[in-house]
Amino acid sequence: MYTAAAGMAAQQRRLDSLGNDLANVSTTGYKHVRVAFRDLVYTQAARGGADGVELGSGAAVRTLGRTTQQGAIKQTGEPLDVAITGEGFLAVRMPDGRQALTRDGQLRLDATGRLVTATGGLLMDPSITLPAGTQPDRIAIGADGTITADGRAAGRLRLVTVTAPGALDGGADNVFFATRGSGAPTAAPATTSVQQGALESSTVDIGSAMTDMISTQRAFELASKAIQMQDQMLEVANGVKR
Amino acid sequence: MERGLYIAASGMLAEQVRQDQLANDLANASTPGYKSDRVSQHSFARELDLVNRRSGAAVGTLGAGAIIAEKRTDLTPQTLKETGEPLDLAVAGEGYFQVQTAQGVRYTRDGSFTADAQGRLVDQAGDPVLGADGRPVRLNADGTVDPARVGVVALTNVAKAGDGRYTGTPDRGAETGTVRTGAIETSGVDASRTMIEMIGSLRAFEAGQRAITTIDETLRLASGQVGNLPG
Repeated sequence: MYTAAAGMAAQQRRLDSLGNDLANVSTTGYKHVRVAFRDLVYTQAARGGADGVELGSGAAVRTLGRTTQQGAIKQTGEPLDVAITGEGFLAVRMPDGRQALTRDGQLRLDATGRLVTATGGLLMDPSITLPAGTQPDRIAIGADGTITADGRAAGRLRLVTVTAPGALDGGADNVFFATRGSGAPTAAPATTSVQQGALESSTVDIGSAMTDMISTQRAFELASKAIQMQDQMLEVANGVKR
Repeated sequence: MERGLYIAASGMLAEQVRQDQLANDLANASTPGYKSDRVSQHSFARELDLVNRRSGAAVGTLGAGAIIAEKRTDLTPQTLKETGEPLDLAVAGEGYFQVQTAQGVRYTRDGSFTADAQGRLVDQAGDPVLGADGRPVRLNADGTVDPARVGVVALTNVAKAGDGRYTGTPDRGAETGTVRTGAIETSGVDASRTMIEMIGSLRAFEAGQRAITTIDETLRLASGQVGNLPG
């Protein structure tokens, strides 16, 4: 009975993560969560089994972190929208001074001409200030992140990456933080580039998320049936003495 | 007392073990690379020779109950499911990935791998996956992995070790399948077959219970009515 219950608990956690993914189906730069299953320890069967007959004790789930799949690039035509192609993140600075990483390239200018993210209004790291009165449509952002306003260099977007992006800690406002498991941020490889006037879509594919949800629900049902079956056996066993 | 009572009870215990095994299969219906088990019953202490006490002539044999004697794991490669994840690997065909654990090298068909902070390919538990050269597989600069560098070995004497891992003896000469990225092997659990076996097992359990109640009833009659001599 505990074996089947362990299976149900694992499926439950997968449903939770699928639910969160579906909620972020239109979040720019969102990376869906990877969930992995494994079987649990095998131990010698109780009475009724010969020596060497080992039984498993169910299944468990483990979150492997976020996918590193590339989301689809969607053209927006907005001069301050940037999409990252390849591995890496934009380095941004949290209000408390910590460095954070994001793939949400929807940028805008704040009141003092500084480049900030659309969600959370976080400053770029290092911060980039454009000359007063610069119109967004006169800003050009190169593939390497160099920003020119009216033909004059105005700064450069810093692209960073970590060794194990799956182990990044996801924060609010679509940002990630480096952890001991992910490694410290370093400069992104030369293959990474930014594209102006475009955004990276969420990697959540409604079709596959829905089919995953259905198969998870069915697996949940099967495990619950197994519990019912074992309960019925206990009932039968109780009926031995009348 | 009544031999039949214990024979029926041993059958029920064996069915309970079978149910536990089937429940484990169902719990792992979504576990990548999981291989389903099959248990078989044998009557234990095979046969008791029955002898006619008066004449000494052999009457025949009697089984003394049932036990789960054997568990066999169905190791047939299962279908692969595309996931698109760059670090998901699958063996198309026979063979196992090698993982370096604290207990020594273990083998797995579950390729839901990830990267660690040192840039190595690791399994769910964070243990490094070994390459064909027996050393941990390192990721390319762009975070992908070269499937040709990941080692696959054929095994004999395969046994489950939990956590999706197996123990076994590498068979270097045997042919192995190829490694594919962006896919994982599906679980080998056939849900409908498992469900049917569960129902069958439940019915066998019920039959054992009926046998016990019937024998009990007979004993009750023996003690109640036979002993109750009309005065």
